Amino acid sequence: MSQHAPNLSRRDVLRAAAALAAVGTAGTVGACGKNDDDQGVGADGVVTLDLWHGQVDLGKAAIDALITAFNQSHPKIKVVGGGGGVTADSMLQKVTAGLAAGSYPDIAYIFGSDLASLTKSPKVADLTGQLKIDDYWPAAKDAVSVKGKVRAAPALLDSLCVVYNKKLFAAAGVPAPKPGWTWDDFVAASKQLTNPAKGVFGTGWPGVGDEDTVWRLWPMIWDLGGDVVSGDGKKAGFDTVGARALETLDRLRIDKSLYVDPKPGSEQLYQVFLGGRMGMVATGPWQLPELNDNGIEYGVVPLPSYSGKPVTISGPDTWTIFDNGKAKVKAATEFVTWLADPAQDIQWDVKGGSLPITKATAELPQWKKHSAETNGLDVFVTALDTAKVRPTISAYPKISQHVGEAISAVLLGKQSPAEALKKAVDQCNQVLAVPN
Amino acid sequence: MASVVGTFTVDPRSRAAARRRRRGEGATGWVFVSPSVLLILGLSVVPVLWSLLLSFQVNDLVSPSEWVGLANYKALLKDPSFGSAVSHTVVYAALYVPLSVVAGLAIAIALDRKIALIGLYRTLVFVPFVVSAAAQGVLFSFVLDPEFGAANSVLHKLGLPAQGFFSDPGQALYLLVAISLWSGTGFCVIVYLAGLQGVSSDLVEAARIDGANRWGVLRHVTLPALTPVTIFLLLFQTINALQVFDLVFVTTKGGPLGSTTVIVYFIWEKAFKTFTAGYSAAAAYTLAVALLVIGVALQVYRRRVAR
Repeated sequence: MSQHAPNLSRRDVLRAAAALAAVGTAGTVGACGKNDDDQGVGADGVVTLDLWHGQVDLGKAAIDALITAFNQSHPKIKVVGGGGGVTADSMLQKVTAGLAAGSYPDIAYIFGSDLASLTKSPKVADLTGQLKIDDYWPAAKDAVSVKGKVRAAPALLDSLCVVYNKKLFAAAGVPAPKPGWTWDDFVAASKQLTNPAKGVFGTGWPGVGDEDTVWRLWPMIWDLGGDVVSGDGKKAGFDTVGARALETLDRLRIDKSLYVDPKPGSEQLYQVFLGGRMGMVATGPWQLPELNDNGIEYGVVPLPSYSGKPVTISGPDTWTIFDNGKAKVKAATEFVTWLADPAQDIQWDVKGGSLPITKATAELPQWKKHSAETNGLDVFVTALDTAKVRPTISAYPKISQHVGEAISAVLLGKQSPAEALKKAVDQCNQVLAVPN
Repeated sequence: MASVVGTFTVDPRSRAAARRRRRGEGATGWVFVSPSVLLILGLSVVPVLWSLLLSFQVNDLVSPSEWVGLANYKALLKDPSFGSAVSHTVVYAALYVPLSVVAGLAIAIALDRKIALIGLYRTLVFVPFVVSAAAQGVLFSFVLDPEFGAANSVLHKLGLPAQGFFSDPGQALYLLVAISLWSGTGFCVIVYLAGLQGVSSDLVEAARIDGANRWGVLRHVTLPALTPVTIFLLLFQTINALQVFDLVFVTTKGGPLGSTTVIVYFIWEKAFKTFTAGYSAAAAYTLAVALLVIGVALQVYRRRVAR
C-alpha cells in the first residue's frame, strides 16, 4: 500500500545530503593535496596571486601603489591585494582558519613571532635558496629562518628605541638621555619626570600580558647575558637574570612613574605619550609619522642597558608564501623578491614606516634624504646593528604567554619579581620539555 | 507549547487522490527545504561533527593531526587554568542570570502601568541591549580607565580612593557582570512585559476581591502565570552567560592575570594563540555538554511544573 510509494523520508534526504557534504569535503581536501604545475594559471597564462596584507592607512596606500606598479611591469602575474579582511593583528587567526578549511591566500603578512608555528603546516612554502637573504639585515635574515630553512621573506623591519618628549624633560629639569645610558638612569629620569598633579608619567608599559608586553623585556635579558631559551632549546634561558629585569620594572611601579596600559593593543600607551603626558616610551620607527603629525618635540635614543653596551630587539614581520601550486609559489616568490629590491623597498620604507630591509636600500640617496628629514630615524637604523630577534621556535607563543603573565603580575604589584619569574620559568620549562 | 489535537473524518474515495498529491507534494516540499537542509548540514552538523573528531586529536589546525582518544579531556580535568576558567564562568553566570532576571521582572512590573511617556521609558530600558558587546566594551573601557576615565574622576570628587577597575584582578570579573547587567536586563524587561500582558486580568480581579494585597497578587497570581517566561529567561540568560566572549575579548583579553578568562575565551586562546585546537575543541565540547544538561534539566522541570 502506501509503503510502496517512493516517498522520500526525512531520513533519506538527510542521508543523501550528508553524503553530498562528505563528498564536498573530500573534494576540497583532495584539491588541497593537488600540486599541479599549471594550477592557478589562467587560460591566458596569467598567474593570479591572492595577497592578504592586513595593512591600513599609510601602509595600505604604500602596498597598493607597489601592487599596481608590479602588475603593470609583470603582465604574466596579477597580484590581488585583498588585504584578507583583517588587520595584521588578526592575520594569524584568519590564516589558521583558512589553512584548516583548505582555502588560504598565496601570500600573507605574518608576524615574525608566529612564523615558526605556521611553518608546521606543509602548506607554507620553503624559500631556501630562492631569496637573496645575504643582502638582508641580520635581524631580517634571522627572523625568516626557521630550523635552518628560509620560510618567508622579510616584510617590515623595526627596532626598539626610546622616544622622549623634549618639553617634559626641560620642564622637569632633567638632562636629555644620551646613548650608553643605563636602566638606573632610565628609572631615575622616569621618577623625576613624573608629576601626578599634572597627570604626567615618566614612562609606560603595556599591561595586558600579550606579546607587546613581552618583547620589550628581551633586550634587557640579552643584555644581562640571558636568552629566551637555553642553548640546547630545552629550558628557559632567563632563569638567572630575569628577576633583575623584572626588578627594574618593579622599581618603576614603586616609584609610581610607570603608566600601565590596561587595554589590549597598547594604543592608549602611545596616546598618553602623544598627548604630552608621558616623558619616555620605548617604541619602533612606525611611531614617528604620528609624532610629527601631533607636533610633539621629541628626541630618539637607543634603549638603556645594564652593561652600557647597546642592545635592542627587532621584531620583523614577514611575507609568508603558501603553496597553492608550483606556478603560484614561483610567481609569489618573484613578487616578494621584487618588493625587497631597493627600488621598491625604499618606497615601502618611506611611505609605510619600515626600516630598510637591505643595507643597499639604506645607502640610497633617497633613503638618506628621508632619514635626514625625519628626526630620530637614523637612531633606529643604527640600532639595527645590535638588534637581536626572538627565536623562531614554535613554542614561542606559549613562552610569551607565561612571561607576559609574570610581567603583568609585577606591573600590577601582585607578585614579587622573584616569585613571578620562578613561576614563569617553571611553566616555560614545561612547555620546552615537550619536543616541538 | 500546547499541541492541537483534532479528529478528522476522511472520505475513503479521496484517499488515493490524497496519496498521489502527497507524493508530489513531498518531492516539491523537499525541493523547497533542500537549500536550508544543506545550509544546516554544511554550517551546523558538519562543523559539530568535525569538532567532535578534533577533540580526540592533537591538532594545531596547520599540520597533520594525531589521534589521541580521550587524552585531551583527561588533560582538561587536570588543567588548573581550565578549572579557573570554569569557576570564573560559573561566578559570572551565578551573578548575572538571577540578577538580570529579578531586575528585569522588577523593572517590567514598574513599567507595566499606564503613565505618561511610558513608551519612552520602555524604549530607554531596552536601548543598552541593542548596543553590541564590542561597543559596550570600548565604551566602558573609556569610562573605567584607571588613569583617565570618568569613573575615577567622579570617585575623586566624592573623596573616594581611585580604583583599578579592569587593571585590578579582584574587580575585573565583577565589572564584566555589571556591564552585562546594564545591557542584558533590558531583554528580560521586554520579555516580562510581554508576559505580563498574558496574565489574566480576571484572575487578578478575583484575587483582589478575595482580599489579596499587591504582594499577594504578585506572589500567587502573577508569578505563577509568568513561570514559563521565567524558565525561558533563565535558560536563555544562562546560555548567554556561559557563552560570554566578545565583552571579555574587547575589554580585558582574559586579564589581568587571567582573572576574567572565561570558558569561551579559554577556547579561543587555546585554538588560535597557542595552536592547540584539539584541546580547545575538547573544552568546547565540555561546555556544549554542560549547556545541554542545563537545557534538558530546565525543560524537564518546566514539564513537571506544567503538569
